[in-house]
Amino acid sequence: MSLMQELNDKALHLGVPLSAHLDITYRCNERCEHCYLDHDDHGEMTTAEIKDVLRQFADAGVFFLTLSGGEPLMRRDCFDIIEYARSLAFNVKFKTNAVLIREKEAQRLRALGVEQVQISVYSHRPEVHDAITKVRGSLERTIAAIRFLRSQGLRVTMANVSMRGNRGDTEGVHALARELGARYTLDPTITPMMDGNTSVLRLRADASEISSYFHNPALVGDVESFCAPPAPIDDQVLEGLPCSAGHTSCYISPYGDVYPCVQFPLTCGNVRQQKFLEIWQHSPQLAEVRSIRLKHLTTCSSCTHAGSCTRCPGLAYMEGNMRGPSSADCEKSFVRTGIVTAGMMARKASAPAPVLVQIAPAPTLTA
Amino acid sequence: MAASVSPSRFFREEPAERCGATVEIGGIPILLQTGDEDFRNLIEQRYAGFVNSSAEPVCQLAIHLQQPMKRPPDDVQVSRSGSVWRIERGDFCAEFDARSRSGWVRQSANPYSLDAVLRIMHSLVLAEEGGFLVHAASGVRNDRAFVFAGVSGAGKTTISRLAPPDATLLTDEISYIRRSGSSYHAYGTPFAGELARVGTNLKARLAALYFLEKGPDNRVVPVSGPHAAHALIRNILFFAHDPDLVKRVFDAAIEFVSRVPVARFVFAPDERAWELIR
Amino acid sequence: MSDKYIARSKAVAARVLGGEMIIMSAVDSKLFSLSDVATVIWEAADGRTPLSEIVAKRVCAEFDVPADVAYQDAEVLVEELATRGILSISNQPVADAEPATEAL
Repeated sequence: MSLMQELNDKALHLGVPLSAHLDITYRCNERCEHCYLDHDDHGEMTTAEIKDVLRQFADAGVFFLTLSGGEPLMRRDCFDIIEYARSLAFNVKFKTNAVLIREKEAQRLRALGVEQVQISVYSHRPEVHDAITKVRGSLERTIAAIRFLRSQGLRVTMANVSMRGNRGDTEGVHALARELGARYTLDPTITPMMDGNTSVLRLRADASEISSYFHNPALVGDVESFCAPPAPIDDQVLEGLPCSAGHTSCYISPYGDVYPCVQFPLTCGNVRQQKFLEIWQHSPQLAEVRSIRLKHLTTCSSCTHAGSCTRCPGLAYMEGNMRGPSSADCEKSFVRTGIVTAGMMARKASAPAPVLVQIAPAPTLTA
Repeated sequence: MAASVSPSRFFREEPAERCGATVEIGGIPILLQTGDEDFRNLIEQRYAGFVNSSAEPVCQLAIHLQQPMKRPPDDVQVSRSGSVWRIERGDFCAEFDARSRSGWVRQSANPYSLDAVLRIMHSLVLAEEGGFLVHAASGVRNDRAFVFAGVSGAGKTTISRLAPPDATLLTDEISYIRRSGSSYHAYGTPFAGELARVGTNLKARLAALYFLEKGPDNRVVPVSGPHAAHALIRNILFFAHDPDLVKRVFDAAIEFVSRVPVARFVFAPDERAWELIR
Repeated sequence: MSDKYIARSKAVAARVLGGEMIIMSAVDSKLFSLSDVATVIWEAADGRTPLSEIVAKRVCAEFDVPADVAYQDAEVLVEELATRGILSISNQPVADAEPATEAL
């Protein structure tokens, strides 16, 4: 087992939130068409409140801290917050669109010892990327920022969300990442809006696009093994946890709401009303999330993909049942292996029966 | 300082993902990290004979590829802040922390850029131990290494071409001298000179350093301390005027000439050339 | 024997997890897990306290180990940590180092 896996295991047994994601604002200087956020400021936490949350995180044992938003640099105290986080020795991963990063900001991020910067890039073609972000010139500025960051020796990850608008451009973004010296990740996940609005889901990449990724060795390595049918499920697998959300990781919104994950908007408490550790240890919602094993999942526990599906409990929660299937992940498992999922069959079974007119064969004439 | 990063009794460590090729020159394995298939293949081909995937790297360098710059390679600009060296030329930019022995380089998929970066890195690592890179040809005969220094035109390529069958050429352009206690070894390197032939991955104990001159007959004339050191320093590859580095290189040269015979080697540029080299 | 002064690098993240000190370097993203003794020395590396004093007052006090062995081990340890770029060693006190930490 690797050192990282051991640490996660240890955190799990000790009940320590090893990783935390803090969004410091939902305001943004872009308006990506697929974004799941409401960008108005409904009273985001003050600098003092945020610093207090960070202190509480450190006391609770948080090590990996992701700072993001909206666009975190929209806050004038953003660097102040990063500096404070670094003074508490967090490992800081900074997620930004980088439009506001020039040489000075890149130098400061490097001087503060930020471990990595993650930046969303939708296409290598400005017209496509800018059409998604709704800001003309945004790709050019983002790329310039990546150069500044790389020249400071910072680790940069270019996150490529695959969706309808940038179909076919993943290879271009990957090549751009290589050129800039950045890591590259590809994710076809579009999250429903936090208020439940699912209209953004129409932007999801279609099955044929996703299939092309799963069959691309440059992305998945050994295609044959990646796309192989799942191994038979045993009891061990069914005792497993759905994911780390609520177990060794959690999320806090700019308004102090604690969720198991940014993609699992179940309010477990609010740090403006309770101490973080109090919420982490005693929230009934977190207790419920923590009680769930694969064997408790209504449909997925009997699915052949149970042990290998990328099922996100948060997406399932947003579909109405945190113990139910996540249709986006059903599609991925199906597209990857060609084997239908239990979730798909359940949906088909509950679909209204078609009205069929039975045609009876004409009686045969007997002599 | 330990020459290699061996596991510690006091802590466990785990590197971030690691892919690329380990190139071992002078017994110093350097991990060249790159996720680019094509570039890794280029490295493996170019440094064939020096690629050693089972060696535990002593240094690591993350290579980030970009489009070729339009500026031609010019002089190398080098600066240092603490233990971190920053190295820039028209065709690449690199940083290397001599303490943690890790760094990165931004360049196009141009093998000459990588050659330059590797030469500089090896120079830094060698300087710490009293070794150096020198403008010299070198060859091995009877398990002894001979180094032939000289400026362009002095005869390095000539002496290399005239090497007899029982002599193995290490390089015709840039010799690699590494110190080990009170003795020195010359190593082959993949850095090709005019002969454009990758050197042999071989090492041998250094028997003598010769300063080349072409002449009618073969003659070896020993050179004494200060003259020897002075002549050697003029041929050592310098890439930075960092006072600390300059001092180390000077000290290395002085130490070297006190331990290895140095002489002027006037040689007849024909089949007799290697008669005195044995 | 001249004193050595050790200081934690600023470009690291560190946290105690179940009594184990975990460190990640912001320079090359290497992850480390320190032994008990290494943790004590790491936490005391404020750039101002000589290594000999750290060993005598912290290591020997908390662990049942003879002073000379402890110091020899400490010298090896700090050299190894310095090689990985997460600690600096100097002959003089370091000006702007971080203070000795309470385990966070």
